[in-house]
Amino acid sequence: MHIRIWGTRGSYPVARAEMLHYGGNTTCVEVRVGETCIILDAGSGIRLLGEALINGIVPPAAHFHLLISHTHWDHILGFPFFAPIYHAHTRLTVYGLQRTRSSLRMTIDNALRVPLLPTGLESISAHIDFREITDDTCFDLGPDVLVTTARANHPYRALGYRIESPEGILTFVPDTGPFHTILFDEEFIVWKGVPPVLSAREQTTLAHMQQAMIALARNADWLIYDAQFTTSQYVQSPHWGHSTPAQALEIGHAAGVHEVLLFHHDPHRTDTELDIIEATQQALAPPGLQVRIAYEGMELRRGTTV
Amino acid sequence: MKVRFWGVRGAIATPGTDYLRYGGNTCCTAITGAQGELVVIDAGTGFCQLGDALVHGPFGRGQGEMVLLISHTHWDHLLGLPFPGIIHQPGNRFIICGPDSARGSLEAICNGLLSPTYSPVYSLANVGGEQIFQALTSDPFRAGGLTIRAWPLAYDEATSIRLYRIEEGTQSLVYITDINYTSPELMDEAATFAYGATLLVHSAPYMRNEPIQRYGFCHVEDALYVALQAHVSRLLLFYHAPTRTDDQLDTLLAHYRALLASQQATLHLDVAREGLVITL
Repeated sequence: MHIRIWGTRGSYPVARAEMLHYGGNTTCVEVRVGETCIILDAGSGIRLLGEALINGIVPPAAHFHLLISHTHWDHILGFPFFAPIYHAHTRLTVYGLQRTRSSLRMTIDNALRVPLLPTGLESISAHIDFREITDDTCFDLGPDVLVTTARANHPYRALGYRIESPEGILTFVPDTGPFHTILFDEEFIVWKGVPPVLSAREQTTLAHMQQAMIALARNADWLIYDAQFTTSQYVQSPHWGHSTPAQALEIGHAAGVHEVLLFHHDPHRTDTELDIIEATQQALAPPGLQVRIAYEGMELRRGTTV
Repeated sequence: MKVRFWGVRGAIATPGTDYLRYGGNTCCTAITGAQGELVVIDAGTGFCQLGDALVHGPFGRGQGEMVLLISHTHWDHLLGLPFPGIIHQPGNRFIICGPDSARGSLEAICNGLLSPTYSPVYSLANVGGEQIFQALTSDPFRAGGLTIRAWPLAYDEATSIRLYRIEEGTQSLVYITDINYTSPELMDEAATFAYGATLLVHSAPYMRNEPIQRYGFCHVEDALYVALQAHVSRLLLFYHAPTRTDDQLDTLLAHYRALLASQQATLHLDVAREGLVITL
């Protein structure tokens, strides 16, 4: 398993000198297992992956599997700038959460169409198909790769993914709040500074979601996890559905993962601040749990995939 | 008036070392009048950086007001809108003007941009600042001592682009971006609108002879033609392609300055960069 991280930022891409190390591009992670190529999210980082593919800096792939956590802008805004989609020989399958309001194809197509961009999906020459999936499913991608999903606690719901192969296990949860205080679903949460009273049913749902998230990360080599918020940001704005580093470590520890990679950095967080967060979290992490801050250009490897 | 560039990149933001000097944030330009009036053109990711800077003034106290002019509703001119804290601060007023589309009004487009499918904000109704969507007509309107004129040019059948001209006393800024000049007449129409401007900001992602032109319209040559036809004093090339590095922009500027010099043109040519402040 060979992982390259092309975008780590949350909310929107930021071009600032103070963020060059951890990077300003929004979420995109490339995972290779043998000949299988998986791309997690199509934030602005996917443009860089596209350039690297076109220029032969990373190996070509016969078929890209694009797994989308959810379709908030920061996770899809790189899509039309992924150069391989303009080549007729490219084959791309896009996976995302099944919705009642709009099909996955329509969500992407509308984002690319007048009035937001000039043309819809018809401008894309690649062979592209869409698979709508649920938040408690699993499916194979090639002979040695099993993908599992779980529901993240994020406005309008989002997916976490587990990519499991004989070479290694990666769990990817770019956007989730903790599994308390607020249960996110279809409706907008109006935050008035006081946590809503959760019904017994809602509390049970959250507890199940947390168990499913821990199972998704169980014994993973790497857990890439939302750590956008500081503790004070979380207290002020829990209704945006993001976690703190401590909340990320809690899930990682409960799941027995080898390493937690803090991800989806706040668009205001500078390199210096992230350095401090890394040192603090490394000091706080329970024995046996590694923790680092994910950065643009980071590579992770296990097994024989080059 | 004082003009400051917060985002000069076209299509998609380009963080990275190759883009540090000219900047990687997408379109946003702020104009401040002599009485402190604030007019902002386009809300790409540069708008988020502007918003962070405005927190330290009246916008941080819920007492800010701006006129936000949208050239057209493509992502790189609009996606920054819902993020800055000042947008969500009750008491702040945003007078938003821009073209409607065949698929809905500007307000409906902004609302759709925030729909739960695409944004955790869900709708404009959840934005704390006051948004006043104001229709654009052929008549000029005022923001304090600034006079604002808008001119429609076609992008395609469904998407219209507004050109903007902002005047204060004898000084004037004209902003033209993303036009696909499909005929010489369109270019002359743009030049007529820009006539005599002190400063013309014009998109120019590519040189005419470049083989790959994937991200946006307008060539440097188009911008030069419009600027020379309009007899503007100064031209700033804007909307740099995401593939355009700082070094390439240096080379490009030197090349076209030499070309203008060889033609004895008095036009002052420059390249827009993030953080650049021009006082007119």
